[in-house]
Amino acid sequence: MRALIDLIIHNKHWFVFLLLEVISLVFLFSSNGYQKNVYFTTANDVVGTTYNVISSITSYIHLKEVNQELEMTNEQLRKEVYLMRQQMEIMHQDSMKRMPDLPLQYDIVNAQVVNMTLHKANNLITINKGEADGIRPEMGVICSRGVVGIVYMTSRHYSIVLPLLNVNSKISCRLRTSEFFGSLVWQRGYADIAYVTSVPRHAPVKKKEIVETNGYSDIFPPGLPIGVVQHIGDSPDGMSYFLKVKLFANFPNLREVSVITNYSAPERHMLEEMATSPASQDSILAKHENQEELKKPEEQAKDKIEGTPINTDTVR
Amino acid sequence: MNSNVLMRIGRLFILLLLQVLVFNHIHLFGYITPLVIGYMVVCFHRGSSRVEILIWAFAIGLLFDIFSNTAGMAAAACTLIAMIQPLLLNRMAPRDAEEGFIPSFTTLKFWNYTFYVFLLMLVLHGCFYLLDAFTLMDWQLTLVSIGGSSVFATLIIICIELIVHVRKDFEHHS
Repeated sequence: MRALIDLIIHNKHWFVFLLLEVISLVFLFSSNGYQKNVYFTTANDVVGTTYNVISSITSYIHLKEVNQELEMTNEQLRKEVYLMRQQMEIMHQDSMKRMPDLPLQYDIVNAQVVNMTLHKANNLITINKGEADGIRPEMGVICSRGVVGIVYMTSRHYSIVLPLLNVNSKISCRLRTSEFFGSLVWQRGYADIAYVTSVPRHAPVKKKEIVETNGYSDIFPPGLPIGVVQHIGDSPDGMSYFLKVKLFANFPNLREVSVITNYSAPERHMLEEMATSPASQDSILAKHENQEELKKPEEQAKDKIEGTPINTDTVR
Repeated sequence: MNSNVLMRIGRLFILLLLQVLVFNHIHLFGYITPLVIGYMVVCFHRGSSRVEILIWAFAIGLLFDIFSNTAGMAAAACTLIAMIQPLLLNRMAPRDAEEGFIPSFTTLKFWNYTFYVFLLMLVLHGCFYLLDAFTLMDWQLTLVSIGGSSVFATLIIICIELIVHVRKDFEHHS
């Protein structure tokens, strides 16, 4: 026993070393979980505030580029407004056509990048808006040039974005002209190059074709630009194309971003969940039958009073 | 708390600030980012308690991790070099060296010191970038990151050491 204690005391640095390494590795492996990670990331308020201060100082250095980018966006928007006005006038002239009442499906929250990594395999971006501003995980993030990434986790005033430049990022996309689908993935290396996989071999692909979001996931609306095809290659199995895409978003100079808060997403999720689970299907059917039964006597009474039922669709 | 610990905390604060504000934003050729924070472990004098070095190194790595979003990677890497630092220093020490000398140009001579720093940086960056990539799929890239960053970090540490050395000499003469 005494020899054992002596051994432990003599080699205590080995035990301390192993203990510290195990702690480090526990931190490392647990960093994939949201709850475990949240205090260890820049979403942490103290570190987030520090980066905010640093960012507010360094943002002056990049003002010129940001201004140029804003100027370009303004110009583009002005053109769009002009085109829209023209279209509106044409539609007003045509009495048969009416503007459809689109629901306010997409809203945008502007945010500023306070920290970002570009050189690692798992790059992350921290922005200075969080739950208090209506941001939740799995919301899309764009900049003036195109898609940036998806919100990964949020704290009260900060959010972490999983950018396109992350080996775990996979975004559903399509080719603008042919509308063939694919998935956008990133491989470690360049900050402006990503790859589109799973585009079928029979798709007509050309260089300089624009890759955009397809709107199948409710994170991004369809048609947001992602990048432009730079090189057309084959996948290792030869079954599909492997397209090298130059991304529109300028990640090294990224400052201003917008988060797309898709308010119809919960409604869609609920509907899809209800449609897939048999239990809820039964309950809906039962509910529907009950309502039908309740309605019948009421409608009969109504018909007696008014003679003919009113079609509400014609009233505006 | 003795003045040695206070000085170490001061040095840690300055190095951490430099690392987070300057060196973390250097991505030479897209892959090379030096972890100059390892200089803290390089500076431990011969005969320091090994447990003390380990705990200091772990804390230094953890602080770096918190500011760089690299949960546990730097802590693991720093702890590893803290384990080998005393062994390496004993091996490199000249025969006539004092018992508790601090590794520098004057005590280890230029090339010995450079080699000592480079070896520690190689292990530090090796551990860090392997944990970061966590795969050997693109091992060439990881190798470039490790080698490049080790050389770069060694150069920076030698520059820092030269500045400190010149300043000390100047104070000594005046």
